[in-house]
Amino acid sequence: MKIPERILKKVEKPARYTGGEWGQTVKDKNAVDVRFAFCFPDTYEIGMSNLGVRILYHVLNSREDTWAERAYAPWVDMEEAMRAENIPLWAHESGDPLREFDILGFSIQYELCYTNVLNMLDLAGIPLLSSERDESHPIIMAGGPCTYNAEPIADYFDLCMIGEGEEVIDELVTLYKEHKKRGFVRTEYLHDAAKIEGVYVPSLYTPSYNEDGTLASVTPLYDDIPTKIKKRIIKDMDKSPFPNKLVMPFIETVQDKITLEVYRGCIRGCRFCQAGMVWRPVREKSVEVLTKQAEALADATGYDEMTLSSLSISDYTCIDHLTDELLKWTDERKISLSLPSLRVDSFTKELMDKISTVRTGSLTFAPEAGTQRLRDVINKNVEKDDLLRACRVAFEGGKSQVKLYFMQGLPTETNEDLDGIKDLAESVIHEYYQTPNRPKKAPGVTISAACFIPKPFTPFQWEPQCEMETLLEKQKYLDDKINDRKIKYNYHDAKVSRIEAVFARGDRKLNKALAKAHEMGLRFDGWDEHFHYEKWLEAFEAVGIDPSFYANREFGEEELLPWDNIDIGVTKEFFLRERHRAYAETTTKNCRLNCNGCGANQLGGERSCCPSLKK
Amino acid sequence: MLSQPQKIRVMFSKTGSLKFISHLDLNRTVKSAFLRSRLPIWYTQGFNPHPKTVFSLPLSVGTASLSEFMDFRVTEEITGEQICKRLNEVFPEGLRALEAYTPTTKFHDIGWADYEVRMEIADPSDMVDPVKQALSGEIVIDKTTKIGTRTIDIAPLTRVDDIFVENGELVLRLHLSATTDNYVNPKYIIDFLTSKLGIPGEKDDYTVCRTAVYQADGETIFR
Repeated sequence: MKIPERILKKVEKPARYTGGEWGQTVKDKNAVDVRFAFCFPDTYEIGMSNLGVRILYHVLNSREDTWAERAYAPWVDMEEAMRAENIPLWAHESGDPLREFDILGFSIQYELCYTNVLNMLDLAGIPLLSSERDESHPIIMAGGPCTYNAEPIADYFDLCMIGEGEEVIDELVTLYKEHKKRGFVRTEYLHDAAKIEGVYVPSLYTPSYNEDGTLASVTPLYDDIPTKIKKRIIKDMDKSPFPNKLVMPFIETVQDKITLEVYRGCIRGCRFCQAGMVWRPVREKSVEVLTKQAEALADATGYDEMTLSSLSISDYTCIDHLTDELLKWTDERKISLSLPSLRVDSFTKELMDKISTVRTGSLTFAPEAGTQRLRDVINKNVEKDDLLRACRVAFEGGKSQVKLYFMQGLPTETNEDLDGIKDLAESVIHEYYQTPNRPKKAPGVTISAACFIPKPFTPFQWEPQCEMETLLEKQKYLDDKINDRKIKYNYHDAKVSRIEAVFARGDRKLNKALAKAHEMGLRFDGWDEHFHYEKWLEAFEAVGIDPSFYANREFGEEELLPWDNIDIGVTKEFFLRERHRAYAETTTKNCRLNCNGCGANQLGGERSCCPSLKK
Repeated sequence: MLSQPQKIRVMFSKTGSLKFISHLDLNRTVKSAFLRSRLPIWYTQGFNPHPKTVFSLPLSVGTASLSEFMDFRVTEEITGEQICKRLNEVFPEGLRALEAYTPTTKFHDIGWADYEVRMEIADPSDMVDPVKQALSGEIVIDKTTKIGTRTIDIAPLTRVDDIFVENGELVLRLHLSATTDNYVNPKYIIDFLTSKLGIPGEKDDYTVCRTAVYQADGETIFR
C-alpha cells in the first residue's frame, strides 16, 4: 500500500483502495513469470461483485507462474488526489503501478464504462492507443459481454477474448510466457494470439466502408488468422474451474454474497435479449457439483447469503433437488438462499417457501411488455394470468409490494401497449384485494421501465431505437395516465439509453468519439451525477459522427454488420427468421420444447438441452 | 453445551488496511470471520439471527489501535487460547485477536486512552520545543457534536507524555480522556497543531495509533 495515508484519510470510503482483504492472493513477485491485473472500469463495489472476475482471478492464481491482482476505477475524489500528486494507478494486492505489469485484463460489462477504461489507462500512465504501445507496456486485453462487439473500443485493446474466458485466458498467459522467454516482441505475440480460438486482435483486421458509412469489408492482415472469430465456451460446466475462496470486501458491495452459478445459457429466446443468445447453448452443472461448490464457498467466505445465479433460475432442470440439498445445511449455518428475478410462469409456493428473499423486501417480475400482442412480438411467452397467479402466491405468502420490469420503445409498440402496462399494474392491485388471506397492508406496484436498446446478436439487432423525443413522449404518456397512488412509475433516462445504443451497435469509427469524450473529462457515465448528455453530443460533433446513424437507423438485412466477423454459434439466419416471426407476432417455443435450429448446438456441451447432442 | 451462553471479551489490534474501515464495516468483517471460524458463537434467536457483538470505544477511520475490545457470547466451553487461535486463522491481516477472557469490567468503566501520533515533517527536531510549548497551555478547539459546535479547552482532558524524534518522524505520546461525555479525539490535537504551528501540513503524512486504554483513574489498564 503506497498511497499516502493523508489521502486515504481524506477520500470517501478509503477501504476501496487499501487492498488487504481476506481471501486475496499475495505472491512473491520475483517468483512468478507473469504479472496480471484484472481491471474493472467501475467502482470497487461494483467490480468486486463480478462473478467473471472472481472466477478468472481463481483460474490465473491457480497457476504457480502467475500472480493475478485487481484494480478498479478510482472514484473522482481519489482521482483528483492522484492527479494532483502524480500517483499512478496501482494494483490492490501489491500496490505496484499497473504500468509495470505484463498483462492488464479489463472486464467490459456495459457500454457506459468505456470512458472509464480510457481514464484508467491514462491514470496508469499507459498510452491509450494500442498502436502507440511498445514492448515496455503491458498487453491490454478485454473480456466480458461487450467484446461481442468490440469495434467501438477496438483501437484501445491489443486483444479481446470472445466468449467464456476460463480456458482461453490460461492459453493466452501460457503463450505470453513462451514469448517472454524467447524475447518478447509485441507484434509477434499478438499474431500468435490471434490464432487461438476465441481471440480477436482488432489491429489485425482492417475495416473499409461504403460511401453511406456502412461497413464494406473486414480484411485480416494475415492468411493464417481466422476471418471469423469463433467464441469459446466451456463444454462441461461440472469440470469448469470455480473459485474455492473469494476476496471478502471490507465494505459493502453490490453483490455482497456467494454467487453460485447454476448453469449457462437460456432456453427462452426473448428477442431483445443479448445474454440469452450469446451464452448459448444451455449447459447445466449437476446438483452434486453445485452442492460441493456451495459448501466450499460457505466455509471459505463466512457469507450468510447465497444467491443461485443464471439467466432464468427456475428453468434449471433440478431446481427443486438443488434447493432441497442446500437447505439441508444452509439454515443451520444461518445462510439464507436467494434467487434473482423469477419468471412468473414458474413461480410456485414451494419455491417461495424455500427462498428467504421472500421474507423481506418486494418481489420482482419482468413481463417486459404490457399487452399479449407485444409480449408475443418479443417472444416473452408469459401471459397475464401467469403474472396474476404468481402475484397471488406472493400475496398469500405475506407480500404486499411487487416490482414489475418493462421495456418501452420496443419494435411495433403503440399507445395501446403502453396502456397495457398501466392495466397490468392495476390488475395486480385488483388481484391483491381479491386475495382473501392478504396481509393487512396497502398494496404497492412499482413499474420500472427501461428504454429498448437494440443489441448485437439478437433478432432485434437491425431495429432502430426510438428517437429521443418519441421515448420521452412515451414516458410522459404513461406518466400522465397513471394516477393510482398505489402504482409508482419509474423510468430510465432516455439520454443514457441513447448513448448506450450508439456504442452497442457501433463500429470502429466511434473510437475517436471516445477519445474526444475522454479528453473532455467524461467518465463514470453510468452514474447519474457524472453523465453529461450535452457533452457527449459535443464529442460526437467534434469528430464528425452522427449518433443517429448508430442508434436510430434501421440496419439493412443485407448490410455487413460491424460484429459479423464474430461467430457466437447462433447464426444470422436464425436471427433474421426470428425477426420476421416477431413482425408476424408469432412466438417461438423454448429450446426444451422444440429445437429451433439456432446453430448453437454446433458448439457442443454437456448437460445441454440441444436435442442433437443428447446421448 | 453451556446452560447459559457465556460472555467473552476479545482484546484485538486493528492495523494496516484495517485502519481504514469504519465501525460498521468492522462489524461485518467480524461477522463473516465468526462464520469461517466455526466457533460456537451464540446467535440471537428469532427472525434474523445475528451474533450480538459489542465493541468498545469506536475508532475514527484512519486510526490504528493495539487495544480494542469486543464482547460476544459462546454456547460451548472453550478456552481463551482456542478462541484467539481460531479467530486469527480467519482474520484478515491487520486484525489480530490478542487475548480472550471472561470480562469483569464494563465498557462504561473506560476513562482514558493513550495514543501515539507520528508525523512525517521536515526538520522534526526543530519542532519538538514548539509543540511542547503549544500543548502546555490552553488547547482551545471547536468540538462538533450532534447538538452543535462548542468551543472548549481540552487541556484538562489532555496529558502530553512525551515528544521526541524517531526515524526522522516527530512522535507524540498523548494520554487523552475517553469517556462518553468527554471523549478527546486525537484529531483535535492534530488540528490544533496544524492551526498553531502548521504541522502536519497538507502534504505531510501522519499516523495515529491507540496504544492503551485505562479505567477512570487513568492508571489501571482496562481489560
